[in-house]
Amino acid sequence: MNGLGVRTLFSKEMRRFLRVPGQTLLSPLITTSLYFLVFGWSLGSRIQEVDGVPYARFILPGLVMLGVVTNSYLNSASSLFVMKLQGTVVDVLVSPLSYAEILGAFVAAAVARGMLVGGIMWLVGALFTGFGVAHPLLALLLLVGVAAGFAALGFLTATWAGSFEQVNFLPTFVVTPLTFLGGVFYSASMAPPALRWLTRANPIYYLVEALRWSVLGRADPPPTAGFAVAAALAVGALLVAYAVLRSGWKLRG
Amino acid sequence: MTGPVVRLRGLSKLYGDFTALDRVDLDVADGEILALLGPNGAGKTTLISIVAGLTRASAGEATVLGRDVVRDYRFTRRAVGLVPQEVNFDPFFTVEEALHFQAGYFGVRLSPARLEEILEALDLAGKRHANTRSLSGGMKRRLLIGKALVHEPRVLFLDEPTAGVDVRLRQQLWAYVRRLRARGTTIVLTTHYLEEAEELADRVAVIDRGRILLVEGKDRLMERQGGKTLRISLGAPIAVLPDGLARLGARLEEDGSAIDVDAPPGGSFGPALAAVATAGLPVGDVETRRARLEDVFVSILGSEGGAAP
Repeated sequence: MNGLGVRTLFSKEMRRFLRVPGQTLLSPLITTSLYFLVFGWSLGSRIQEVDGVPYARFILPGLVMLGVVTNSYLNSASSLFVMKLQGTVVDVLVSPLSYAEILGAFVAAAVARGMLVGGIMWLVGALFTGFGVAHPLLALLLLVGVAAGFAALGFLTATWAGSFEQVNFLPTFVVTPLTFLGGVFYSASMAPPALRWLTRANPIYYLVEALRWSVLGRADPPPTAGFAVAAALAVGALLVAYAVLRSGWKLRG
Repeated sequence: MTGPVVRLRGLSKLYGDFTALDRVDLDVADGEILALLGPNGAGKTTLISIVAGLTRASAGEATVLGRDVVRDYRFTRRAVGLVPQEVNFDPFFTVEEALHFQAGYFGVRLSPARLEEILEALDLAGKRHANTRSLSGGMKRRLLIGKALVHEPRVLFLDEPTAGVDVRLRQQLWAYVRRLRARGTTIVLTTHYLEEAEELADRVAVIDRGRILLVEGKDRLMERQGGKTLRISLGAPIAVLPDGLARLGARLEEDGSAIDVDAPPGGSFGPALAAVATAGLPVGDVETRRARLEDVFVSILGSEGGAAP
């Protein structure tokens, strides 16, 4: 194994996003704070409680999930795409790094960014709603699995993409709608029948609810469903990303 | 190392219906500079990309130091340095960081002494902390060479290293390539600048339409394919070539103001000069011109029905 090579690629990927903290850390923090301010604070004063939990505390797990998903995806997607665009992907492809090592370093750095952003968001939210977490280790495990899955999806998208517009396709047209319709701001049991059906057909809903269970100790569907979705997403996306990288598609002639 | 450093056998690359490489056989000897010469689209970049691991061959075998570039990629890639044709840079990092990262990918810790040596040799010491985005085009190209050398490869592939580079930088790069060779690095150079191959190469491989047309020592190639030509400029034009010169194959040029005579390989111009004296021609000037690689190249491609360079 090329241990130094993996550490170097991981370190380069970490430094890349830490070098632009305004864009990578501060921006999601501000967005989340705004969500929190608008939906949690202003609406929360009217909604009071959802499923017996103060509304601001109810929406926090979903917002953290949104932050982790978006940032882990964007890190690997934007990094690999910029490397393709600038031609520096050649530097990695001619090196003795194996496919698994390349993918592992990209995904690990993207997971780190997702967890860092998610952690900051949780800290800010917890200042208003309290720091209690019912199952901290399971919450971490779930988020790492989700981040790894979306990091692999980001890697895949950047491999395929020919433009920034295509890189942004998944977060804009898939992740954001699914997250908004995934019970971040509402409980499926309270929703009208059509929205309830739509919500329960949405895999992100189970991720949000599993994190809600991990943090609050209660959720609508059984949390095992969310853990199963996270595991399937992580394993499936990583395997497909590995197979695509190994095939050389769009990267090696 | 007694065998070739790079050995290609039956190497082919197809892109759909297009044949980029067609059953190429080629050996690169230890410590030599081999110029891979051909027009645009001849297959030069495809060939070196396969050896460096950027492209996969459709058929055939490529080995570096006796090891297969696919099966033993970790070994062969550590032995190969590639300077790609397209200038690349990572706008997030400095020159020094870029070199450290590249060494790390190869599992090598870049020592301060080695870093200093590379920066000095490529005239980048003053820019070590500069963001790579701020470098001039020439500096970016030198940084590419630095990145290809961080792991001290046995064989260095330079893909059109001086394309779009000014004369001064070109001379600097050539001097550096010679120094690398003197230290034992084997160098494969792709270029369509014939002057570059003539200046640097020990051997020349001419490639066109994916096929290697010829591989030969540069001096021998020029000796064999292109002899010397003697040009005698006359003080006054003549209408008819004297018999003595016509028998030597001389030609009237410049509307009778000059006579060109080709020397036979290994032969001299003595008989031609004697014939001029015998004919009593008014000689203004005499010069000899050695065929340049460009002439040889054009004649090889021409005889194969290939494209112009």
